[in-house]
Amino acid sequence: MTLLIPTPVTRRRTRFAAWDVPLAVILSFLFVTLVIAWSLFPSLFAGYDPYFGDTSRKLLPPSGEFWFGTDHLGRDVFSRVVHGSWSSVTSAAIAVCIGLVVGGFLGLVSGFVAGWTDVIVARFIDVLLAIPNFLLAVVIVSSFGFQTINVAIATGIASVAIFARVMRAETLKASTSVFVEASGLLGGSRWHILLRHILPNAYRSILALAVLQFGSCILIIAGLAFLGYGDPPPAADWGVLVSNGKDYPSSPWLVFAPSLVIVATVLAINRISRWLRR
Amino acid sequence: MNHRSNYIGYAIARLAQSIVVIALAYTFTFLIINVLPGDPITNMLLDPENGFSPADIEPIIAYYGLDKPVLEQLWIALSRFVVGDLGISLRSNLPVSGLVLSALPSTLVLALSALAVALVVAFLLAFASQNLPPRYGQGLLRLLPAASLSVPAFIIGIFLIQIFAFQFGLFRITSPNSFAATAFAAIALGIPVSAQIAEVLIANLDHEARQEYFSVARSRGLSRFELFAHHQFRPSSLPVVTMIALAIGELLGGSLITESIFGRTGIGSLVQGAVSSQDYPVIQAVVSLAAAVFVIVNLIADLVYPLLDPRLRTRNRGREPLADEPLVDTEAVAK
Amino acid sequence: MNMPYTIDLPDLLHVEGLSVSYGGETVVQNASFALKKGQALALIGESGSGKSTIAKAVLGLLPETARTAGRISFKDRNLLELSDRVFRPLRGRSIGFVPQDPQNALNPVRTIGAHAHESARLLDLSGRTAERTAIFETLELVGLSEPERIYRSYPHELSGGMLQRVLIGLAVLPRPEVIVADEPTSALDVTIQKRILDLLSRLRSSLDLSLLLITHDLALAAERADSVVVLKGGEVQETGPSSRVFLKPSSDYTRKLQNDVPSLNPFRFRTAERRANAGEGTGDPFIRVQSVSRIFDTGDRQVRAVDDVSFSLQSGRTHALVGESGSGKTTLARLLLGLDTPDSGAITVNGQRVHGRSTSALRDLRRDLQLVYQNPFTSLDPTWKVKSIVREPLDRYAIGSRQERDERVHEAISAVGLSEDLLRRRPAALSGGQRQRVAIARALTLRPKMLVLDEPTSALDVTVQAGIVEALFALQERFGLTYLFVSHDLSLVRQVADTVSVLRHGRLIEQGPVDQIFENPAEPYTRLLLESIPAANAAQSAAAQPGYARLSLVKTA
Repeated sequence: MTLLIPTPVTRRRTRFAAWDVPLAVILSFLFVTLVIAWSLFPSLFAGYDPYFGDTSRKLLPPSGEFWFGTDHLGRDVFSRVVHGSWSSVTSAAIAVCIGLVVGGFLGLVSGFVAGWTDVIVARFIDVLLAIPNFLLAVVIVSSFGFQTINVAIATGIASVAIFARVMRAETLKASTSVFVEASGLLGGSRWHILLRHILPNAYRSILALAVLQFGSCILIIAGLAFLGYGDPPPAADWGVLVSNGKDYPSSPWLVFAPSLVIVATVLAINRISRWLRR
Repeated sequence: MNHRSNYIGYAIARLAQSIVVIALAYTFTFLIINVLPGDPITNMLLDPENGFSPADIEPIIAYYGLDKPVLEQLWIALSRFVVGDLGISLRSNLPVSGLVLSALPSTLVLALSALAVALVVAFLLAFASQNLPPRYGQGLLRLLPAASLSVPAFIIGIFLIQIFAFQFGLFRITSPNSFAATAFAAIALGIPVSAQIAEVLIANLDHEARQEYFSVARSRGLSRFELFAHHQFRPSSLPVVTMIALAIGELLGGSLITESIFGRTGIGSLVQGAVSSQDYPVIQAVVSLAAAVFVIVNLIADLVYPLLDPRLRTRNRGREPLADEPLVDTEAVAK
Repeated sequence: MNMPYTIDLPDLLHVEGLSVSYGGETVVQNASFALKKGQALALIGESGSGKSTIAKAVLGLLPETARTAGRISFKDRNLLELSDRVFRPLRGRSIGFVPQDPQNALNPVRTIGAHAHESARLLDLSGRTAERTAIFETLELVGLSEPERIYRSYPHELSGGMLQRVLIGLAVLPRPEVIVADEPTSALDVTIQKRILDLLSRLRSSLDLSLLLITHDLALAAERADSVVVLKGGEVQETGPSSRVFLKPSSDYTRKLQNDVPSLNPFRFRTAERRANAGEGTGDPFIRVQSVSRIFDTGDRQVRAVDDVSFSLQSGRTHALVGESGSGKTTLARLLLGLDTPDSGAITVNGQRVHGRSTSALRDLRRDLQLVYQNPFTSLDPTWKVKSIVREPLDRYAIGSRQERDERVHEAISAVGLSEDLLRRRPAALSGGQRQRVAIARALTLRPKMLVLDEPTSALDVTVQAGIVEALFALQERFGLTYLFVSHDLSLVRQVADTVSVLRHGRLIEQGPVDQIFENPAEPYTRLLLESIPAANAAQSAAAQPGYARLSLVKTA
């Protein structure tokens, strides 16, 4: 009955009437699906060999035949981007899984068990948060060895803290809610409350976070690959492509094309996450 | 006053907590470097390709206690760290603290200018998001922070170099410490941070505009500017203090890649060099220092915040009002 | 005050055929009324009636997406046509505003003084010192005795009642002609509510203000306004002098409203026989609370939330705990359910002690003892469907076969008057009243002997409340339930309870059969509470005027 809270501004948007999904989210889903398809069946999309080129047609600008142009060895950049999506996408997926499982578990325990467990886990989360994400990943990779799989694990460990923090907050919010107390009064055990009330209520934010982290893991992994901490060339990880391309300033497509794919992918993922969070 | 002693208690507790976190961060890094791969320093020293003679190796082993159990090694390292001794570089044989100190100014300049860029851009965006009439593209502008969060600093950096160094010749990559080169490096590093701050700031401004007190103030006939400045911007800007503190981590981590792209020397390039030459004491030092900086900046932010927000400044009085009205009017009862 | 409507005063504010819609949804349709100079007009309605939208339209605070039609005439101008720039000088200077929730109506990071200067500037005084003098005068005028201290304070340092006085002061400071007050007291305790309303009435006559009062409370409107406009679903149901609308409502809706307001119908539900036996008990009480205390440590000091309280309750009866905020009534209910442990004293339910039991023994006890929460918007898990919500206790206590559980769910749902097609919905798809019925059904499926009802209707509209209360009486009749009814609403308590305990600051002030307490209160605090109920005053002031008899207002059985 408050008089002054203005009714939310209803924005005109194109929506898919049946599901009430904004058009931008549909497009984002389509694009992410496409990228995943690239990574699973690269040969369906890439017309050329990503590793061996024809030096007679090196450094060609984008054209109908070579959508993203060719590199200094005459390799088709589009084919390399498509083949590189496998390592970028799976690394990010591995990283998110590590963050989600480890961080989610820590957050859940700390939020639900409370007491000393909470204090200890909370300090551990503080430690992980204190070390800058990117630096932490660099340290872990440097001590595990320069490989794409280690990059993925390092990125995953670096994202544990954020998952733990959000999960803890969601758990605390749900476990102090009235319906959880009500369930206790109605005879619900702690396990019942955890599995049937707290997890379902935390699920949506955690899902949105996982999607969001998938995007930022792609960025971190590309950054680490860019610095040369992943599999060495001729591997075609997106970050490696950008890194190789920057040595040929007169052929800007070598940088622009993979950059564009990275940005578009992350943009689409972020849009989906935002939609899930709403 | 009571709340002052409470504040001091809070400050001491936070300080103690911060010290614990810094020590734990050091330990955590130590364990990652020294335990997970299994004595990497000795391995690196013994690797014939690295060209250490037994005479070189001996004092190093003695210095770090590499022949002792891991926990003892940790204790040696940690007690040196506490007094500011960061160890000796394996490669250059110089004290790590000296290496860090000489690399620090350049990185500080970069990080602070990036922070300045981030704040200016974020506040401009936030201001425009509230005051630009919708027909001049306010909607588009509101998408900007979310969009620039999807662009990593290294891509922005490369684009800036491609466009402004190679196309327009505004700066030269060969003189990375020139004003123009530093400015563009700061932009590359600052834009992603500005996006984070702008997003929170805009969300806060929107939130304030929905508050009842905003509309009540409007009903008092305030001008648009007064409304914005006093009732929307001021309460929204307080959390930016916390945002800045959190952004420190991003700036330190991001300087690694930004320095590499722009060819700058600094903490980032120091780490990169140390990583590629397996100079573990340097890596250990930089990572734990970065954690310490992050923790200390956040400690300061947490201590300053209650002084800025009156609700926290006198938070103990919040529960018991200065003087409540008596629930019973004595006159009313007497009648 | 005598026959105000007949005096031909000029119209100050005239609303003609006002319609407001948001994106095709009409919120106000063709509303017309007039506020005369120096008069008070009340807009009455429940949630969704459009009363707040009309107030926003008058203040020029409708969001840009709102579409309007009709006219709001004020000083020969149509307020609906004014741009924000032209409207701004009217705000504060000509039309003042007193909001609903004083805790959220002042900017938390600015002092009261900073807010007050914003208002004082509209007086066009010569300087800040002059403004300060005007501010101090006004703060004293609204009954704040230490203006300097208030001036320096931040909003969170003042109580709700003080803040509402500050806000009234800010509204009257620039000497406007009209004050729009949106539920100015609904967030306050009943005794403070009365004093704020008295203040508004006093200021209205001394400053010659017109008042547009928005309220959900028919009795309050009748007591405080000269004329009323009754709204429902955005349409005006009835307009007229308040005494006439109150005594002889012409629309069905106003009649229903009048019938559902507890303060006007104290004997609607309890039969004469039941009332006669209210104080008597047979055999051992079902609930026995013996000198229970509960002390909370808040760091600096100890708060005695419940202080040496005793009462008992016979099986099949309803006992009410009534009090203002901080009276300890909710803490007491939680102690009874074993959700909290008393520092001293004992509570027995059906002869069994509640505290000092094992978890599983407490669990057994709770089968007979269920709780209905105040806010049905938080007490139901939003991710669950109604059917699972109502079934949850049966599943947890593993009662009967699957089929029997389903039968019990259907039985409970129909017992609370809900249709079965709601079973597949989630709480978000239900109205507040429906949700509260679901919560009651959930509490009933275990067939408990007793329900603790913690302000079960305070989040609901008065007509919805009447439906819930009616359902509660039917269930009590059918299953022989015992109720402990926690409420701040004295008139509601009088309607539902057999016996009552009046609490204040954790202490028991007075207790006994409800009619006795309401007709012959022994304690001054109880008297004060009763005098603060709007209808009682309306009845008295009406009784003081020729032609109105008290008995015609408050219906007897």
